[in-house]
Amino acid sequence: MTALSTDTPTQSTHSPAELREKKDRRRAITLLTPGLLWMSLFMVLPMCMVIYVSFWTQTTFAVESTLTTASWERFLSSSTYLSAIGTTLRVWAIVLAATVVVGYPVALFIGLFVRNKTLQTALLVACVIPFWTSFLIRVIAWRPMLGTEGAINVILMKLGIISEPLTFLLFSEFSVLVGMTQIYCVFMVGPITFMLGRIDPSVIEAARDLGASFGTIFRRIILPLSLPGVMVGSIFVSVMVLGELATAASLSGRKVNLLGNIIVSQVGSLKWAFAAVAGVVLTIIITAVIALALRIVDLRKEM
Amino acid sequence: MLTLSRVSRRYGETTALDGLDFVVPENTYMSLLGASGSGKTTLLRLIAGFEEPDQGEISIHGERIDGQPPHLRDIGFVFQNFALFPHLTVAQNVAYGLRHRAIAPVTNEKEITERTEESLALVGLSGFGHRAISAISGGQRQRVALARTMICEPRVILLDEPLGALDANLRARMCDELKAIRERLKVSFLHVTGSETEALTMGDKVAVLSGGKIVQSDAPDTLFSSPSNVDAARHLNAWNIFEAGLCGAAMGQGTIAVRFDQIDVSPKGKAPDGHPWLSAKYLTGEFNGPTALSFFRADDGTLLQVIDHLSQPRLPDMVEGQSYDLHFAPDAARQFHGAA
Amino acid sequence: MESRILRPTLAIYTAAFLLFLYGPMIVLAILSFQSSEGGPQFPIRDWSVYWYQHLLGLTETSRVSQLPVGDSLVRSIVLAFMTTVVSTILGVMSAEAFRTKFKGSGPAFYLIILGMMVPGVLVGLGMALLSNTLGIGRVWWGTSFVLHVVYTYPFAFLVMLAIFNRFDRSVEEASLSLGVSPAQTFRRVTFPIIFPGVLSAMLFSFTLSYDEFSRTLFTIGSQLTLPLAIYGTFSVEIYPNIFAFGVLTTLFSFTLLVIYGLLMKRFTAKASRFKGQEEN
Repeated sequence: MTALSTDTPTQSTHSPAELREKKDRRRAITLLTPGLLWMSLFMVLPMCMVIYVSFWTQTTFAVESTLTTASWERFLSSSTYLSAIGTTLRVWAIVLAATVVVGYPVALFIGLFVRNKTLQTALLVACVIPFWTSFLIRVIAWRPMLGTEGAINVILMKLGIISEPLTFLLFSEFSVLVGMTQIYCVFMVGPITFMLGRIDPSVIEAARDLGASFGTIFRRIILPLSLPGVMVGSIFVSVMVLGELATAASLSGRKVNLLGNIIVSQVGSLKWAFAAVAGVVLTIIITAVIALALRIVDLRKEM
Repeated sequence: MLTLSRVSRRYGETTALDGLDFVVPENTYMSLLGASGSGKTTLLRLIAGFEEPDQGEISIHGERIDGQPPHLRDIGFVFQNFALFPHLTVAQNVAYGLRHRAIAPVTNEKEITERTEESLALVGLSGFGHRAISAISGGQRQRVALARTMICEPRVILLDEPLGALDANLRARMCDELKAIRERLKVSFLHVTGSETEALTMGDKVAVLSGGKIVQSDAPDTLFSSPSNVDAARHLNAWNIFEAGLCGAAMGQGTIAVRFDQIDVSPKGKAPDGHPWLSAKYLTGEFNGPTALSFFRADDGTLLQVIDHLSQPRLPDMVEGQSYDLHFAPDAARQFHGAA
Repeated sequence: MESRILRPTLAIYTAAFLLFLYGPMIVLAILSFQSSEGGPQFPIRDWSVYWYQHLLGLTETSRVSQLPVGDSLVRSIVLAFMTTVVSTILGVMSAEAFRTKFKGSGPAFYLIILGMMVPGVLVGLGMALLSNTLGIGRVWWGTSFVLHVVYTYPFAFLVMLAIFNRFDRSVEEASLSLGVSPAQTFRRVTFPIIFPGVLSAMLFSFTLSYDEFSRTLFTIGSQLTLPLAIYGTFSVEIYPNIFAFGVLTTLFSFTLLVIYGLLMKRFTAKASRFKGQEEN
């Protein structure tokens, strides 16, 4: 392209290597364009739309594109909405901690203590299979489990441990937390097991031969090497829990209102601008969480 | 005739090929000898068109091929790992090029079958056509790779360390077979290897690649007996290369090379008159069957080797750690100018 | 030896964990055989397949209205199929592109991955707002479909990326050196070799789309997909017919998994036979 403007005596200004590189790059970009275009049109654009509409004017049954911060002011001054932010963050933190606490020992067992490859795979598959069944069905399956006449109460009463059914089990924050922990635990167990599986057993054996106790081995070798797995798992779990609404809708009896539930109820009453504000707030929270996690691990490398 | 002129290839800061000139004549088995990392595979990839040079020209029969896409170059390539198509049978592998090539594909099934049979027969694999790739041995895979390439009758066939993945016995046999097959095909082979014995056995001509350039390209016996520079001599693994100054004033200045088998050893001060000599400490010896190698260290630290044939021993008994005089006939030395 | 205590402890813990994972589904499966008078809880009055019949519309009129699964099931399958095709094609193309180094590959990677990270409610809301503004109707094969692809394409992409990472480029070069064009090389060599990966990508895309709920919620319009039909029953009282449905849909997912497993076995059996290419 610059050949005309320069006075170099050589005929071609690009070496074959440069031309080949250019051709390869053009091919890569051509192959990538449809996908990136799809993501831009159907993901980035809608997200921008959410931000844009959050500044629109909300009337009783409609929104109009006159820009205003009224929705934001109402959202940030309403205790209902602010407490939804609080609830969302609280539920997120508890579920995240619970998935780590519940999942880590399982990952430790499968990844490190099971030497038999077949058994290892079988256990991992057993953990992943529930993910393959319907999400909503798994949520609803907690109802006959936790209800006042549910399996847990029936068993506890049969055993004589309690005389009255426990009522806090279902339609409470507790049921939401239990349900989410069960549903999202897989995403914590998987990455941690993967990382633990990469630890060379001879390293641990060597440490043991040198007289290190399991506690020391765990602190010095296992924990540091499994941390990237915990981080990857945390990203998965965080993203999914923060965007949740179905578990709360089904198991809390409307007692737990996450930002996701706020969005649904606002859309239901055609309050698009408020829904958009809640959406932007949720986006900010998730972005902050992912940004924090990505500072600690490079996702592209770990995958 | 395949000609490369002033070909350069850089990867970021490192230069793999540096203004290289190289000619592969018609109907020739050409060996290309180079240490690992010398850019020999890069050279083949440039010729085949998997990569392009930063500078220079590559032409075949006077027609430039650099800049052309690889599938239009009509150049065969045999990979070190054979790169057979794992999902196809032996016969399908061999017929693949004929059937699917962009230019003049063969559609007549009968012709394809016949030529596949012919090609398999040429490499001694008649009757193996229906086998899966996984069901044949390494040597057989090598032959399938060759048959697959030959059936397309390319203008030249490039072989990237084709014997590298084979065990020693098989390697010796494949050496002979490769040569015989090439002679029947009358097409040029360019065989890249890091082993000097392989290069010298196989090649009608042997080229040495060093420092991104072809430092010498000659018939194997010429190359072996009279390398024209230090780099070429070093690659043959048969020459002691040292500073002429070690022999006092007798050899003048510069670097000289003396073949392992043309150096004699005598006790200190006993070197024959007229023979240039240098003092060196005997380190250790090593038996290699019919030959024995003795290692010496010269005063400036250069490692020297002397080869002795067991049938005609010419070395005295030596004590490790003692110094001896190493001497040689004046005409046995090759003198190079310029730095070693 | 601490592991003498630790190992059994962890084993028991893992067993308990599996019970935690499967318990609710097992209870649900048991309760799906509740009799017609029984509610969605214990005790089981009588074992029966009444609720299965109810689900399939084989019962007399009942106090409980039938689950609207018929049409929505068809819609969900068609939608999942469309999503699978498009996201697998996009995933293969993008992963192929990432085999060449190019500037901006980092941002492009994260833009694609974002699709599986962004919560469904958010893109769903955005898409609904967009279609409102542009005056486009919301239908499952339009607004929902594009969002399903946004969600599943990153999974397909990651699967294919992993496959290409292990792919030996020299077989493609061998094909080119035999005079076969790049397009034919892809068709005859690359594609057959990466096919198991493509199969995995398809399985991922299908299951994710078939079960997708939050992205669909705001973008579906009036013709519902299966998960939304289920979601509709959340607000009202539930009956064991939804348990029966849960059992059937789980069986359906397992069938898919088994089909995938069988196909995979066929292809990897072939693959393992040529893994030993370098050995003698």
